[in-house]
Amino acid sequence: MTSMADWPVVPAPADSGSGERLFFDDHEWDTIEAACARIIPTDHDPGAREAGAVRFIDRYLSGIDFVYAAADGSGFLQMSGKLADAWRARVSDLGRVYRQGVRDLDAIARERFGADFVALGESDQDAVLVQLSGRPKPAPVALVDDGGKPTIQVYAFDDDLTFFDALVAHTRQGFYGDPVYGGNRDRIGWTVIGFPGPESLKDTMDGTYSVREYYVQDYDWHDLIPHLGQSGTP
Amino acid sequence: MEYARKPEPVDVVIVGMGASGGTAAKVLCEAGLKVVGLERGPWLRPREHFSGDEIKFLNRTYLWSDPRVNPRTVRTDETEKAVPTPFSMVPQMVGGGTVHWAGWLPRPRPSDFMMRRLHGDIEGASLADWPITYDDLEPYLSKVEWAFGCAGLDGADKYEPYRSTPYPTPPAPPTRAGKRFYDACKKLGINAMPIPQALITKPYKGRTPSNWTSFWNGYGDPSGMRSSTLDTFVPEALATGNLELRSECYVREVTVGADGRARGVVYVDADGREIEQEANLVLLCLGAVESARLMLLSTSRQHPDGLANSSGQVGRNATFHEYLFAVGLFNDEQPLYGFPGNYISGGSFQFYETDYDRGHIGGALIGASHVGQPINWNFPGRPAWGSAAKDADRDFYNHAMKIGHTLHDMPVESNRVDLDPDVKDGWGLPAARITHKAHPNDFRLAKWQVDKNVEILEAAGAWKTIPVYLERGRASGNTCHQHGTVRMGTDPGTTVLNEWCQAHDVDNLYVLDGASFPTATGVNPTLTIMANAWRCADYIAEVHAKGRVERLAPGRAGRVEARTS
Repeated sequence: MTSMADWPVVPAPADSGSGERLFFDDHEWDTIEAACARIIPTDHDPGAREAGAVRFIDRYLSGIDFVYAAADGSGFLQMSGKLADAWRARVSDLGRVYRQGVRDLDAIARERFGADFVALGESDQDAVLVQLSGRPKPAPVALVDDGGKPTIQVYAFDDDLTFFDALVAHTRQGFYGDPVYGGNRDRIGWTVIGFPGPESLKDTMDGTYSVREYYVQDYDWHDLIPHLGQSGTP
Repeated sequence: MEYARKPEPVDVVIVGMGASGGTAAKVLCEAGLKVVGLERGPWLRPREHFSGDEIKFLNRTYLWSDPRVNPRTVRTDETEKAVPTPFSMVPQMVGGGTVHWAGWLPRPRPSDFMMRRLHGDIEGASLADWPITYDDLEPYLSKVEWAFGCAGLDGADKYEPYRSTPYPTPPAPPTRAGKRFYDACKKLGINAMPIPQALITKPYKGRTPSNWTSFWNGYGDPSGMRSSTLDTFVPEALATGNLELRSECYVREVTVGADGRARGVVYVDADGREIEQEANLVLLCLGAVESARLMLLSTSRQHPDGLANSSGQVGRNATFHEYLFAVGLFNDEQPLYGFPGNYISGGSFQFYETDYDRGHIGGALIGASHVGQPINWNFPGRPAWGSAAKDADRDFYNHAMKIGHTLHDMPVESNRVDLDPDVKDGWGLPAARITHKAHPNDFRLAKWQVDKNVEILEAAGAWKTIPVYLERGRASGNTCHQHGTVRMGTDPGTTVLNEWCQAHDVDNLYVLDGASFPTATGVNPTLTIMANAWRCADYIAEVHAKGRVERLAPGRAGRVEARTS
């Protein structure tokens, strides 16, 4: 078995800009693309459709060739051993969840609106997603006291997700993740929210990419910390 | 590398090469002892393997134990069936938790070592004093800060206990969110200060502070700016020629001789071969959950209830430091920026010590932090999808901050780690099962402190604040902090280890990670873990290995010769 430290870097089986379909059939691709476009819609800014979120998801579900990019983005890690087995099982489970999810979207769409999900208008698609999620469509952030909230996990694991929760999580990853994974085309997700983001992963390794200009530039610790003046130390 | 079925015995075998194992390896190898370090996980190369890839590091568990390979189960009490949950996961690799961490490096306070003396018996809690004091640990806190690399501001913390040395490098500049925190604290009369952090801000011991990407908390650092044992103490131990490090070697049992003393360990290497490594001394440094688990897995005729467990206390009194916080959303013109910084920027010890008027004992170190990178920045109640979600990202990603703390949770004897009867790990061994129910003091402390954090956010000008309390029956296990499962103390009937973290029952077995902590403390534990590991490793090299025994005089600093063995 190859040690994790020595997993080889191999070229991606598909170019990051190509539209090649690796997992979904045409109907599944179109359905997921339409659903992603309701998760992060297009308005005066690009949305998940323009970012290529469906391509990101298609690659993720295609096996374990797109799980971990090489640190410098020059390819992907070729996993082996127990971790490879765990990821193969995880991705395979997720693939089943997505395939069933497409069937569920179409079943609800046909029952309520008489057509496949992809053929519906936006508001009908939203109604299908609301029914599928079992929760109302999210309302804008408002200044109401909605009480204390339960803790959120700092790290998420892609196990035991429902189709809807997977769709939401992966659309977000396909919109805001590094473009090397096939989403966030032309880094448009980052532009939408004002995240500078590196030109390439390699730039984050050698000091090329820096956000130091976003720290406070002019400061004096004595001004920020009144106690310093009283403590007699510099 | 091919090994004979049985490699040569060595002086010391260390199981787990993270914060405590890396520290012990450095101290023991520099003292001339021959050490084999066994690490379950990989030995990654920072400059080759780490970069600012949010998907890889935060969403696909590159540094984290894969829960399908290393499962863990959790329940609230003994009547429930435990369910698989990624609870208090720590990277299992050379460097351990110091690979991914933000690097909070605060010192503990003198009161942390004497909670029972200060507060007596608290109903439902198993408060205990430490067998050591702050003064016993202070020289080693300084040693770690200087050998490891640390940034802090001398004189800034009004409540700081005695320090024998200043900080080796100055703090990182404040972020805009940090500046808001400092300004709000000034307005409210709160003493804010840069939280000491395990990073360097000027050239230090051949390292250069060149990582200003802000891919920090949760990411490996390719530059060496962050202090990790992977990048410092482990290479230093190797440079002595006295350390042989074997990674991806999974220790499944500590073996014992006919006399009940530790003989060595049995591990499974990356190719599935089972190998026994004998040693004069066995040091467990796996983290509080996994060290307790390995002791419980190591049953024998001499130790039928698990290794060194005649007290029945192995696994008990587990504490976990839930991370709780309040988020502030701002709607003014000045962006705070959600991404820049080394996670924390500004904190305060003002609420750390007990004030009975608050209705609880203990308190918290609070820290202001940025919100992180675009995928995983979050606040409870953030709209999940649709235009509301897109607007929330656009409006608040660069206009949000949080103030949080790790909960100084009370030890409870029934909060414990044992072996799950059903769930097995990737090697077919029982998973660690965690039973945890929060103590009433935990809820009161959390509520008071989160409300205080809301007050500071409001003074900082927040438009909306979102408090996150300890809500459920148990902690969610959202930090890596884990302590207390193999307590140190003077009474072999109620503790497992003595004041040198040497097992009462097995004199050549030491447990040097957070498992030894009698109480959780209210600070991030790694500095205390490393300083304590250094202290105990010093004892092993200078006293134990020379065939002598010394005890700490109870209640005061200093050693006394006990007997010559």
